[in-house]
Amino acid sequence: MSHEKDLLLVPLHVSYIQNLGKACFLQHNKNDLMYHLTAHLRMNAIYWGLTALCTMGHPEALARDEMIDYVMSCWDEEAGGFGAHPDHDAHILSTLSAIQILVTQDAIEKLDIDRVVKFILSLQQPSGVFAGDSFGEIDTRFSYIAVNALSLLGRLEDLDVDKTVNYIVQCRNFDGGFGSRVGAESHAGQVFVCCAALTILDRLDVIDTPTLSWWLAERQLPNGGLNGRPEKLEDVCYSFWVLSSLSMLKKLHYIDSDKLTSFILSAQDPEGGGIADRPGDMPDVFHTHFGVAGLSLLGYPGLVDIDPVFCMPAALIEKKGLRKGWQALERRTGYEKSSATVENVLESEHAT
Amino acid sequence: MHGVRQARQTREALEAKRIKEQSKLHDYLALTDDVLSRKNQNDWSRRALQATTQLLQVNPEFYTVWNYRRRILVNGIFPESTPEQIKDLLNDDLSLTMAALKIHPKVYWIWTHRGWCLNNVPSGPGTGDDGDPRGWEKDFWNQELFVVEKLLDADPRNFHAWSYRRIVLSSLPVPRPETSELAYTTRKIESNFSNFSAWHQRSKVLSSLWTEGLLDERESKEKEFDLVQNAMYTDPKDQSVWIYHRWLVGAGDDIGILEREIAVIQSLLDEEPDSKWCMESLVHYKRLLLRNHASLVDHSNLTRDCINLLEQLRKVDPGRKARYSEIGEVITNLTVLSI
Repeated sequence: MSHEKDLLLVPLHVSYIQNLGKACFLQHNKNDLMYHLTAHLRMNAIYWGLTALCTMGHPEALARDEMIDYVMSCWDEEAGGFGAHPDHDAHILSTLSAIQILVTQDAIEKLDIDRVVKFILSLQQPSGVFAGDSFGEIDTRFSYIAVNALSLLGRLEDLDVDKTVNYIVQCRNFDGGFGSRVGAESHAGQVFVCCAALTILDRLDVIDTPTLSWWLAERQLPNGGLNGRPEKLEDVCYSFWVLSSLSMLKKLHYIDSDKLTSFILSAQDPEGGGIADRPGDMPDVFHTHFGVAGLSLLGYPGLVDIDPVFCMPAALIEKKGLRKGWQALERRTGYEKSSATVENVLESEHAT
Repeated sequence: MHGVRQARQTREALEAKRIKEQSKLHDYLALTDDVLSRKNQNDWSRRALQATTQLLQVNPEFYTVWNYRRRILVNGIFPESTPEQIKDLLNDDLSLTMAALKIHPKVYWIWTHRGWCLNNVPSGPGTGDDGDPRGWEKDFWNQELFVVEKLLDADPRNFHAWSYRRIVLSSLPVPRPETSELAYTTRKIESNFSNFSAWHQRSKVLSSLWTEGLLDERESKEKEFDLVQNAMYTDPKDQSVWIYHRWLVGAGDDIGILEREIAVIQSLLDEEPDSKWCMESLVHYKRLLLRNHASLVDHSNLTRDCINLLEQLRKVDPGRKARYSEIGEVITNLTVLSI
């Protein structure tokens, strides 16, 4: 019944990610300049690719051993964290991606947990915020990363929770959202990191839920896509950041899920695979991952549940005993529109 | 990758591009190998610095190379330089990052490197007894405010630039009066009402001016209401203005302000009967009346207004109807409870 453009082109996206993986692990396509110019994003890219594959139900589409070897080759012995690529400096961004990959691949035993915990904790500043590396750039993104990583490593008890939360609270704005540091404008990406950090730390009480869920719902534009700030353009990656925040606040039904689903699907590249920031643009693995993750939260049929807090397979997080009380839309079984499901969620929400 | 249009190319065109890229690629890889091997050997020479310049000009996103560059400067070059020379070196780095920001205005690493340069300006030209030891520092930071304004002229919503602007403002050796920042946001808002970044900044500046007693809160709020009403009537669909208005009204402790603003919005709604933002705001402010001033208002009338407005909102803004329904239920339940 459905038109092709209404469907997620899973086999095509899987092979798109596999081709990127071949360049990385099997030394194919090494003659591509763009591949080398983006080396500083490599570790993140592997995490995005792997997680997108897990969400699409193909967790084994990339070679596991080569992936683990690659991750370990990015270990920065001097700093005690991971760089984005061999010989690149350790940074908290690539360190979280490395941990997420190792956890997803069930290979955490490769990791010197004490050292990496020490590295992460060394980045907390007197104000409570985390720096990205020893050079001291600060951002609430890095606070989330620290909380997420410590939680995955089972070492959250080493964190000064009050100090961490206190800084995030100072970044809260009157619109209910959060900025990258004290005084900064609310931004959907920063809202995601702050909500997720607070969710992991069981401190959602500091969020003004009615105001924030209003602000988040207003991110949806008439074409169905979501933007990251008022009066800005839509972008597929905000699908995940806005949706994950809404699902942590249990307000995912506040937006039009059918229209957003169509928007994400319309940003697919139907020839080469992958998803772009918006229809007609070049696809990349970042938008492919966040587009697929958004669709999973919207209950798109056939996808695997993703945990919106950790942005990893939900079953894995549940198995580790880390699942928090978020709520996604119910997984649909057919390709019919989802309105009925939205109503169900509404009712179950009211029943509780 | 953001906003890069996809161009379908023929096999021949792609092949031609690939061949053209090969020499570039070869140079890039050779340069990368050179820089990373020097880095591994803790090479802090001028030759190493020059190699990082070349590499960062091609790829300003290579954060490891920015890190290495700072190590070269701190460990190798600064110790053998005069303060004057250090100042000139930092100036070179500011030019390097400026060129990079023109092409990549949203790359975190470049902004970070600029901030590092500014924080490392040596004392001079004076020594304390003779001339101003913070003279260079003042020049650098003042110049930086000018630079960040240029970048915000190019993209008035760039949140990196706004964030950096706040750092610059708080780092100026001679702080500017906050009223001049208020004037800056006025200029930004007047050139474009949609610029929520400027409204946001304004809310922070005003809060601080009020707290410090530098502006009379009541009087300055009235001016803000005038400004916002003007913007509302110019484009009632622009959410920046409505969000700011909500901040101005705040918790709704002042019944006079609430009732007056409700009347203003109601008359705009009469002109623009489908205005979602008028209806949304009316519901919000009427609920504040109900919540904060229960003994002074007509409870059943306000409740009925809200229920009707929410019903209309479900029609004009069906994508968000679940939220309107939920608010409606909350209001109805409160009514039931109060009876």
